[in-house]
Amino acid sequence: MFKKILIANRGEIALRIIRACKEMGIKTVAVHSTADAHSLHVRFADQSVCIGPPKSADSYLHVPSIISAAEITDAEAIHPGYGFLAENASFAEVCNSAGIKFIGPSPESIKLMGDKARARETAKKAGVPILPGSEGVITEEADAVALSRELGFPVIIKAVAGGGGKGMRVVMEESEFASAFVMAQSEALAAFGNADVYVEKYITMPRHIEVQIIADDKGTTVSLGERECSIQRRHQKLIEEAPSVIVDGPLRKQMGDMAVALARSVKYRNAGTIEFLMDENRNFYFMEMNTRIQVEHPVTEMVTGVDLVKEQIRVAAGLPLSFTQDEIKVTGHSIECRVNAEDPEKFTPSPGTITAYNPPGGPGVRVDTAAYTQYVIPPFYDSMIAKLIVYAATREEAILRMNRALDEFIIEGVKTTIPMHKRIIAEPDFQTGNISTKFMERYFSVPK
Amino acid sequence: MNLKELKELIEMLKNTDISELEIERSGVKVRLRKGGDVTFHPAMPRMEYPPAAIIAPTVSEPERPAVEKPQAPAAAPLNQVKVTSPIVGTFYRSSSPDKPPYVEVGDTVKKGQVLCIIEAMKLMNEIESEAAGKVVQALVENGQPVEYGQPLFTIEPA
Repeated sequence: MFKKILIANRGEIALRIIRACKEMGIKTVAVHSTADAHSLHVRFADQSVCIGPPKSADSYLHVPSIISAAEITDAEAIHPGYGFLAENASFAEVCNSAGIKFIGPSPESIKLMGDKARARETAKKAGVPILPGSEGVITEEADAVALSRELGFPVIIKAVAGGGGKGMRVVMEESEFASAFVMAQSEALAAFGNADVYVEKYITMPRHIEVQIIADDKGTTVSLGERECSIQRRHQKLIEEAPSVIVDGPLRKQMGDMAVALARSVKYRNAGTIEFLMDENRNFYFMEMNTRIQVEHPVTEMVTGVDLVKEQIRVAAGLPLSFTQDEIKVTGHSIECRVNAEDPEKFTPSPGTITAYNPPGGPGVRVDTAAYTQYVIPPFYDSMIAKLIVYAATREEAILRMNRALDEFIIEGVKTTIPMHKRIIAEPDFQTGNISTKFMERYFSVPK
Repeated sequence: MNLKELKELIEMLKNTDISELEIERSGVKVRLRKGGDVTFHPAMPRMEYPPAAIIAPTVSEPERPAVEKPQAPAAAPLNQVKVTSPIVGTFYRSSSPDKPPYVEVGDTVKKGQVLCIIEAMKLMNEIESEAAGKVVQALVENGQPVEYGQPLFTIEPA
């Protein structure tokens, strides 16, 4: 096992990893920008190294500084968390060549899954259903129109290098196609330096359902059930839960088996998530694979009892998984609300100082955060300040528990999305589980 | 440049978005910076190295969170300049173990003169003096790790 791990991240996920390390008897090194000198991850790590100014490009994304910090502190492994360098294949490569273990999949796996078109092909080969669409990049508008007619409108145009909704266009009818195609290409070029796009059938009321997997060096690959992440706004997840109301035992096994087959087909190692779109008839289609620990991993931990971060560290150290597929049972229900420092209606960021802070507690409540009273939320990074996770025997009880936990959660000094979460979970459609990725548009569209 | 002019400059800087201003006139150089050079990290956890390597709190960040209130313009650092590490790495005072240090306390250095080396990812990075003047303090022991923004030398400008 590693003696010392460097955490190349900040905020709650850095703290989450430090917690896992402490419980495993592993020393930790925090890296931080000058803006984060007072952060909890800096305080609770055994050592800390300031790696640069506030701008991410010069600190949390600055590979030479991070490798250098690992070298001067004799860290044997680096946990990248999520975001920043977590899905950067060349960072994983640099770690390997510097003799530092990257806690995650191989650079090859990151590269393969980071390329959406190749990932689709890989999924198809592994027998995972994919949305009907262009097989790879489509450059000519005429070909794209012809294909869209064949698929039937609506269709969606997506950037090959895409993410976060950029370079993405839904086309409801043929007359709108030409301009949307050009827009998607130029957006893709502007955002990713690559204008390649592809076209797919568009599902009108889709659910976003993802399957957690983890694999060790022996190739033992286990699925840990699904997460329902349909409550999103502009492709940013707001509420996640496990299990999904729409997924029953047989479907869970089917999706899990496919996720495992895909991971095995590329000799995937460590934790990963396979995202699916599901239509009203419970047909599911591969969307993409995320080659990192995810923000919403706690809901899976709550319903399976597995500590995913500890398992990541175990398998990175070459140890076998501490459980088998047969031992994974999904019990109870867990919900996570992402609390952001944002205006709850307009969603504009609200950085500033937290003047009063009271996290909720009591049975079945978990708060993953790096916030505290007098904490200054810097304007340089993302706006998430806390993940509020509840666990209960049933979904109904979990919603009630979430409601009272949101009431107890006091954050003053900045605006937060707590009131928005209260509204969402009070919606009858949320309570009955009648949700899709269109939920926020339907109930929370802000008049322009 | 007299005191009145300096005060006027400070007032002017206060009312603008400019965070740093450098003026050179008839051999006198003045640098004004908003909200910089204030130590504001009280109890930072330290790196655990041998006793000599106490990591000083980071100083002198011009890019402070926009949400913090700006401090009074500081003209104080004029008489002493702290040379801080621009990178994370290992600090060396000479180009190789059998060579003498680049500079000793008491030496007079020119602007741009090499003060030390910081090794990061097997690359030797020469750190140059930001000011001409006298080296009054060497703050890090040879061979010790340094972090971004850590003060390395204090220089009294000539």
